[in-house]
Amino acid sequence: MPVIDHRGVLKGLKVKEAMRRQVIRLAGQADLEQAIRYAIKYKVNALLVEGEDQQALGVVSKTDLMGAYYAGLPLTTPAEAVMVGPPLFCQGEDSLESALDIMQSHRVHRLYVEGDLPRQAAGVLAYPDILGLLYRYCHRCDRARHRSAGAMGPSLKDYLKVREVMTPGILTFQEGDSLARVMEGLAANRIAAVLIRGNDGAPAGVVSKTDLILAYRHGVPVTEPARTVMNSPVRACEQDDFLDAALRQMIFADVHRLFVYKDRPPDLVGVLALSDVARFRCGTCRACVSSRIGPG
Amino acid sequence: MKLTARDVMETRFWTLKPEMRIAEALGLFREARREQGQTVFGMMVTDEEGRLLGMFSLYDVLLLLRPKHIHIWGEMEDLEVSGILEEACRRARGVLVGDVMTTEVITVTPDTHILAIIDIMIKKHIRRLPVLDQGRIQGLVYLSRVFDRLLDRLVVGG
Repeated sequence: MPVIDHRGVLKGLKVKEAMRRQVIRLAGQADLEQAIRYAIKYKVNALLVEGEDQQALGVVSKTDLMGAYYAGLPLTTPAEAVMVGPPLFCQGEDSLESALDIMQSHRVHRLYVEGDLPRQAAGVLAYPDILGLLYRYCHRCDRARHRSAGAMGPSLKDYLKVREVMTPGILTFQEGDSLARVMEGLAANRIAAVLIRGNDGAPAGVVSKTDLILAYRHGVPVTEPARTVMNSPVRACEQDDFLDAALRQMIFADVHRLFVYKDRPPDLVGVLALSDVARFRCGTCRACVSSRIGPG
Repeated sequence: MKLTARDVMETRFWTLKPEMRIAEALGLFREARREQGQTVFGMMVTDEEGRLLGMFSLYDVLLLLRPKHIHIWGEMEDLEVSGILEEACRRARGVLVGDVMTTEVITVTPDTHILAIIDIMIKKHIRRLPVLDQGRIQGLVYLSRVFDRLLDRLVVGG
């Protein structure tokens, strides 16, 4: 049980209490086709690449797979040819705060948790894992905003609006733009998805890294227009919607983000990320460790 | 007497195609259950020439249904989520079998000894093994069938 004090809600919590024990692994000689299938099947953004001795060699992310697509590598290319390595490790006994420090200083979204043997992964720690835990413990904290609103007052979920949490600005492409161009935009802006507008300028769909790696697996040329692989309709909410309604929409659609519009759907003004919603909704005070969740 | 895969394999089996949608594939699962009188938990996926490409099983379906955000909203007991299962099922129906099937399939030959089959099933935690002869599918060995055959030998007086 973590110690709840006034400096940090999660003070005393260890990595092993937040980590996920299911690590999605890939043999170094496995090809990119298999890497894509694993990323889709297990709904993960990255796979741990291991050598024959089960020692971690590197990480292959959706970004790496998208890069391979852009570069025109055959799907039979070994995963180790595009992996980034070596992966960063922490220990199960490390404090969650120190793990967060490593993630932020190295600008990575996940750390692998070392098992009994060196460089063998017993688990993985990513921001969403910490967020789930935060939600549980922040609700016990007497400094949490949902409590400070007063026992008789409205709860946080009843007054927090999308506009207070969203990130303003969106990256858009035209439905006729090539997939290669979309990939360039995703890579340059370090984002996971872009909005696609139709010829009339209205939002027509979304292309994410997941859509792109699936297109790679299905043999779609990168010269094809974005409309070929985009997802429709665009999942969006109004900036004055309550956060809970937006969160529910994200959970139901199994997506990480919603586009935010002002007044009417064509006027998109920003993006709402699940991680931001979860962080705000937990009611944590800004001084707490949870305000540092995110790659910074 | 030597007991091998040939003696315990099921030679009547259903197969799927990688371009099938999950809804269609699971329709075949239901049809197979009706015909065989028992639930089918996995089927082989083959190409046009009948060559084995992979396996599609109950586990693959469960993975598809599991929301990627479960570790976050699973903690949010105060969040209204009625209808989410129906939505997850609706989304899963359109996924292609080939995108989520398991391709690292362990196979045996008709001459593989039953003890070797048991060893594979224990070590790899698998319940069904395709039987291939020079690349051609001959049948499927189910853990339950293996157990049935062993019962005959294990029960005294059986």
